[in-house]
Amino acid sequence: MSVTNGNRFGFGSGVRADSLFRILFGSAVVVAGLLLLGVILSMVASSMPVWDIQTPLSFVFGDRWAGEVTQPDGSIAGNYGAFPVIWGTAVSSLIAILIAAPVGILAAVYLVEFAPRKLAAPLTFLVELMAAIPSVVIGLWAAGDLSIRLRDSVEWWVASTLGRVFPWLSEDPNAPASQSVFRAGMVLAIMIIPMVVAVSREVIRSVPQSLREGFIGMGATRWETIRHVVLPAARVGLTGAVLLALGRAIGETIAVTMVIGNAEGIPSSLFLPGQTIASKIASNYGEAGSPTQVGALAALGICLFALTFLLSLAIRLIVRRSMRQSGRAR
Amino acid sequence: MSFVRLTASDLTKAPSGRDARRRRSDQLMRSVMFATAAAAVIPLIGLITFIAIHGVPFLSSQFILNSPLDKEPGISNAIIGSLQLTIASIIVAAPVGIAGGVYLNEFASPRVSSAGELLIDVMLGTPSILAGLFAFLVVVPALGFSGYAAIVALSVLMIPVVMRTTQEVIRLVPAGVREASLALGIPVWKTTLFVTCRTAASGLLTGIVLAISRGLGETAPLLLTAKGTNDTEILNFGSTMNAMPIVIYRYAYAADKLHIGQAWATALVLLVIALVLNVAVRFRTINSRVA
Repeated sequence: MSVTNGNRFGFGSGVRADSLFRILFGSAVVVAGLLLLGVILSMVASSMPVWDIQTPLSFVFGDRWAGEVTQPDGSIAGNYGAFPVIWGTAVSSLIAILIAAPVGILAAVYLVEFAPRKLAAPLTFLVELMAAIPSVVIGLWAAGDLSIRLRDSVEWWVASTLGRVFPWLSEDPNAPASQSVFRAGMVLAIMIIPMVVAVSREVIRSVPQSLREGFIGMGATRWETIRHVVLPAARVGLTGAVLLALGRAIGETIAVTMVIGNAEGIPSSLFLPGQTIASKIASNYGEAGSPTQVGALAALGICLFALTFLLSLAIRLIVRRSMRQSGRAR
Repeated sequence: MSFVRLTASDLTKAPSGRDARRRRSDQLMRSVMFATAAAAVIPLIGLITFIAIHGVPFLSSQFILNSPLDKEPGISNAIIGSLQLTIASIIVAAPVGIAGGVYLNEFASPRVSSAGELLIDVMLGTPSILAGLFAFLVVVPALGFSGYAAIVALSVLMIPVVMRTTQEVIRLVPAGVREASLALGIPVWKTTLFVTCRTAASGLLTGIVLAISRGLGETAPLLLTAKGTNDTEILNFGSTMNAMPIVIYRYAYAADKLHIGQAWATALVLLVIALVLNVAVRFRTINSRVA
C-alpha cells in the first residue's frame, strides 16, 4: 500500500464510509415504512373512543350514521353505522369496473394488436393522458358538464325503460336528482380507464408472438387469435390490471365527492345521491370536533385502508403466480 | 390426406358459409375495439374543451397576479401556496425516495428488497385521503391546520412515487458500469452516487417530476391539512395556506358567477400545468407506469 496513496482513491477509509452510506440509505426505507405504520397506527389510536361506545361489528354493519346518542340512563352510546358508505363505495366502484374493464381491455387490445403504428402512439398517449389530470379538475368538469349529460341521456333512458321494472333503476321523471351514485361510478370509470389500458397494454404485449403466429398459421382470424390465445394467455395479468384500477376507484375522493351528492343512507335507486367512505371523510372532517366524531372518521379510514391493503396483497399474489407460470412456460 | 390445388381465384373470392361468418365477426370485433379505443379518448377531449371554453373568459393578468382580497380578486395566493407546498414536500420526499429506491436495488438482501417492494405497492395503493387523514389526526392537533400538516401528507404520497421510479431506472443501469468503477478501486458509496445515480440521473428526475405533478393536483389531503385561506402566506408553513386545488373545490359551489368562473379558470391553469409536466415526462426515455 505504500506505493500508491490509498486515501486518494478512498481505500482504507472506504469500508467505514461504505457501511455508513448503507445505513444512511437504508434508513430512508425505514422512514417510508414508519410513515406507513404511522398512517395505520394514527387511525387505530384515534378510533379508540368509538370502540368504547360501540363494537366494530355494529360500526361496519350499522345502517345509520347518527352520531352519539345519550341514552335514558344518561350514558352515551355510539351510533355510527358505516354500512351505507361501504355500500356506496362498493357500488360506485363496481359500476366503474363493469364499464372500465371491458372498455379498457378492448382498447388495449386494439392499440397493441390492430392499430397502425402511426395511430397507436398518439392514441395511446391521449388515452393515458387522462390519468395525468388532477381529480379535482375532473370533478369540476363532471359536476358542471358530464353529470348533466348523463342525467339527460343514459339515466333518463334507463329509468324510463328498465326503471319501470326494477325500482333500483328508477327516478322521478319530473325531478331527476342533481347528483347520483351512478354518475359517480361513471366518473370513476373515466378516471380508471387509462390505468386499465396502460397495464393491459403491457400485459398483452408480453404474450409471446409465437403463440399468435402459431394460431394464425392454422388459419385463425385475428379476432379468433385474440379470443382463444392472447386473452387467455394474458388472463392473470389482466385481472391484476382490473384490480389495480379497482383500488384507485375505491380510494378516489374529490371527484366522487363533487358528483355523488353526499346524502346519508342507502339510496333506493342508483340514480339518487349517496356517499362513499372517502367522500364521507372529505365532507365530514370539518364538523368533527369531539374525540368520538374524529374517531368515527378514523374508523372509516381503517375500513378504506383495509380494502385497499387487501387489494394490494391480492395483486401481489396474482403477479407472483403469473410470474411463476410464465417461468414454467419458458 | 388429400391435397387441394389452390388457384389465385380461390384466394381472392369471397368465402361463403362458416368462413364468411368468421370473417364478419372478425371485422365486427375490429370495429368494436377501435370504437372502444376512440371512446376512451372522448372524455379527455370533452373535458379540455369544456374547461377551456369556461375558463378562458376569466383568465387575466389580475386573476393570476392579485390576491382574493384585492379589489379585482385573483388567485395569486393559491398559486404561491401550491408552489411552496409542492416544493417543500418534494425537498422532503425526493431524498428519502431516491435513497430508499437505491438501497432496495443496490444493497438490500432479496428478502428486504421484496418487503420494500410490498411497502411501495401498499403506499402507492393507499388512497390519498388517508395521507390527509394521517396528517389531520397527528399534525393538526399539535400545529393546527397548517402548511406543515400539508407537507407531511404530500410527502407520504410522493415518497413511494419517487422510490418506485428510482428503483425502475436504477435497475436499468448496466452492471458493467458499476463493476468498472469498483474495479478502479472506487468505494461503493462513490460508485453509487457518482456512477450509478449519475447514469440514471434523467430517470431520477422523471420520478421527481411525476411526484411534483401528483403533489400539485392533490386536493383531499390539502383540504384536511392546509385548509385554504384568503391571505397570502410566504414561507409561513405554520399557518393555513391556500392552493389551487382547494380554490377549485371551494369556488365550484360558490353562489356568484365570478367565483364559479374563477374555479373554471383555476382548473384551466392546473390542467395546463399537469399536461405540460406529463408531456415533459413522456418525451423522456424512461416511461414509468407509476403515475
